[in-house]
Amino acid sequence: MSRIISVHSFRGGTGKSNTAASVAALLAAEGQRVGVVDTDIQSPGIHTLFGWSQKAVRFSLNQYLWGICDITQTAHDVTASLDAGVPGRVYLVPSSIKANDIARVMREGYDVGLLNEGFRQLVKELSLDVLMLDTHPGLNEETLLSIAMSNTLAIVLRPDHQDYEGTSVTLSVARKLNVPDLVLVVNKTPPVFDPEEVRERVEKAYECEVAAVLPHSDELMALSSAGIFALRYPAHPLTGLLRKLTARLTA
Amino acid sequence: MTERPGCVLVADDDMVNRLLLARGLERDGHRVRAVANGLEALEALRDGLFDCVLLDVLMPGMDGYQVLECIRSQPKFRHIPVIMISALEDIESVVRCIEMGAEDYLPKPFDPVLLRARINAGLARKRLHDLEQEYLEQVGRVVAAAADVEAGRFESRELDSVAGRDDALGQLARVFQRMAIEVLARERLLKQEVRQLRIEIDEARAARQVAEITQTEYFQDLQAKAATLRLGPDAQE
Repeated sequence: MSRIISVHSFRGGTGKSNTAASVAALLAAEGQRVGVVDTDIQSPGIHTLFGWSQKAVRFSLNQYLWGICDITQTAHDVTASLDAGVPGRVYLVPSSIKANDIARVMREGYDVGLLNEGFRQLVKELSLDVLMLDTHPGLNEETLLSIAMSNTLAIVLRPDHQDYEGTSVTLSVARKLNVPDLVLVVNKTPPVFDPEEVRERVEKAYECEVAAVLPHSDELMALSSAGIFALRYPAHPLTGLLRKLTARLTA
Repeated sequence: MTERPGCVLVADDDMVNRLLLARGLERDGHRVRAVANGLEALEALRDGLFDCVLLDVLMPGMDGYQVLECIRSQPKFRHIPVIMISALEDIESVVRCIEMGAEDYLPKPFDPVLLRARINAGLARKRLHDLEQEYLEQVGRVVAAAADVEAGRFESRELDSVAGRDDALGQLARVFQRMAIEVLARERLLKQEVRQLRIEIDEARAARQVAEITQTEYFQDLQAKAATLRLGPDAQE
């Protein structure tokens, strides 16, 4: 049975897209068929991680939401941009990075309900095992819908005071939507922090499972979104932790 | 008195020569140990630290060649300058000794000025060698300190002995030590912070934010159909 996994954070800059892209790539490396939807229509970005340029693109999520095209026309097979020999598939549904398109979304809005329909169609027509939703920070309508539709929601936070309250709000809202599987991912943890201690404290504060405590990584920063960390550094300890996270999110 | 006295071993079987040499050296401020044959010379070397050896070529039992060979073959003694004592006419044995590794030779009978010059040259060589050894050893300490920083076991006073030097190596050690101490201090501070990692949430404000979202019509509609949304395409059809 296919499942929808949302990767969300209340604030930006938590490393949500990097984490989502690595999880998607690791699933494809296991042979799974994965869809990745950039529902961050206001500030799209995950396409960069798949080394994917929007120049040649006719249709993005925006065109689907405006009724210009079918959702499957917006799905682009980006498997070739991953490591050679990845047995699975990754389909990317990008949001448009054109300034006009973003401005139009902000100005006119769109029928949020179409997202649900589109996601379902994607899962069915591309025979996806997993559909991953990279959301816009905060809790706007499309993010709430993404959360409501998710079988699993991973909320990414940094061990930083800026992230604590918003994470608590997101958790409360997700609980009210009865998301069946809710986990926290602590990201960008300074290396001097003891990961087990961080896990313990975060789990206690939020009464929620911490699926991973991921350290800050200079290599990840140096990669500067020019690729997918887990594939570029397969033997890196962070990749080991991302593998465990991937297994937990699809368990 | 010479400016930089050293510790000199004199080996000569001729008692008069031995005494003359010892007296001349002592007058210049050197510490002297005088022995009468090759075996005693080696024993003395094993017991003490010498900066220079004055060695007679012809001695009963173990002669000067054998002692010289022994000194040059042992890493512990190899760097000690050896000055051979030989009759002026016996130039062949002098050549042989220099080929075997002797630094210099002193013709008999001794000229005090020549003795002083040769001894001072030998001691200067030894000092240079010692300085070089010390330098290399202290470079090794800086390298070891770098490995300690990597392994997280650097001690803040570890490089004190090298940092006291007034040359470039001393400066390197001082800068390195200061930077390593700063890194250590930063890490300690961070560790303290993690011990204080408190997740404080203003519950009332968070509850207000949650209410703002969940009281909207959109949210309530979403809440009502969330379970159906999650059932997947088949169930919805």
